[in-house]
Amino acid sequence: MATAPRTQYTAPAQLGHWLVVLLIVAAYAVAWTMVDLKLSPTKLRLFNYHKWIGVTVFALAALRLAWRLGHRPPPLPAGMAAWERQVAEIAHRLLYLLMFAVPLSGWLMSSAKGFQTVYLGVLPIPDALGKNAALGQALTEVHEALTWLLLALVALHAAAALKHHFVDRDDVLRRMLPQWRRRS
Amino acid sequence: MSLHVRTAVAAGLLAVCGLALATPRPLVAAKSRIDFSVKEMGVTVSGQFRKFEATIDLDPARPEASKAEVIVDIASLTTGDADTDAIAVDKPWLDKLGFPKATFRSTAVKSPAPNRYEVSGVLTIRGKARPIVVPLTTAAQADGGLLATGGFSVRRSDFGIGGGEWNEGDLVADDVPVTFSLTLGPAAR
Ligand code: HEM
Repeated sequence: MATAPRTQYTAPAQLGHWLVVLLIVAAYAVAWTMVDLKLSPTKLRLFNYHKWIGVTVFALAALRLAWRLGHRPPPLPAGMAAWERQVAEIAHRLLYLLMFAVPLSGWLMSSAKGFQTVYLGVLPIPDALGKNAALGQALTEVHEALTWLLLALVALHAAAALKHHFVDRDDVLRRMLPQWRRRS
Repeated sequence: MSLHVRTAVAAGLLAVCGLALATPRPLVAAKSRIDFSVKEMGVTVSGQFRKFEATIDLDPARPEASKAEVIVDIASLTTGDADTDAIAVDKPWLDKLGFPKATFRSTAVKSPAPNRYEVSGVLTIRGKARPIVVPLTTAAQADGGLLATGGFSVRRSDFGIGGGEWNEGDLVADDVPVTFSLTLGPAAR
């Protein structure tokens, strides 16, 4: 039965997908709150939480990528045009890329600014860069630009998912949702 | 009148000579540093003081006659991050306006082993004076100079550095390790 053609993403793939969605939403919420605060204990806490979330997203992205390399996703609905398939393919690749690039740029930025990332306050992640204020500033801009790109891409991606569900009325969204949704 | 001038000049010369003889090795500021690190939520944030004076007169033959005085310019603190620097010298922390200098003055010096000293003294930060013993190691330099290195730990709570909200929930570690590496020029003789 494990070899039967799948119409669903596997449970680990779904779990990975939605965990990353939750964490990315949290990361944006924390980021937008913290940047406007003046330096205070609360700001320090939020900075660290934000960094921990980023590390977690990075780790989950690695797991998801490993899953993806070992599995073929269920085939797309037959009615989709070739260009639609291509756009979906490109968008998914870019999403994978950004799930790595956004946390990575944040970690490099933090290193350059002289703030090591210590996961959950206990696991130090080595700094790849020495302290360098100018580089830190440049990397801040890179990190910000990448987060805007990710946001735009997620908006497109979510809109496409919703369009599939409500306009095309196909099973693209449902196959990323747990089985119980499907039967109802 | 001219007699007065001459006595004054003679006295001045004497004073200068006397000073010169007693002058300890001059600090080579460019090759000296004072570093510290503060730990918040497991993250070590390091910084240094860019400006300080040190008058260190170590006498290996008579260690107990040795003297050390270090005066640190609080406003010269830098961590490489402007926001952090601003907070670190702000009123709840080092309060550069209220207490522009931190000082260390030795009261007694012991030398338990060659090139090793235990400098007892008084550390004053934010106007609060606390006794402290600073271990110090010296190494002769090729140019006749002397490198003095060592470190100690400052307990923030002893000096009231970073009070209030900053002390809630163990966010920022109380202990702040300080290390120094001071290059002293060849003795003026
Ligand atoms: C943080 C935001 C998000 C990221 C990083 C993300 C990333 C991804 C990636 C990389 C894939 C491809 C999986 C694969 O085939 O290997 C995917 C698929 C999918 N995502 Fe997202 N996603 C996000 C948000 C959302 C949201 C908000 C929705 C729904 C409204 C959604 C719905 C879907 C669906 C339905 C698929 C399956 C597409 C298919 O069957 O080919 N995603 N997502």
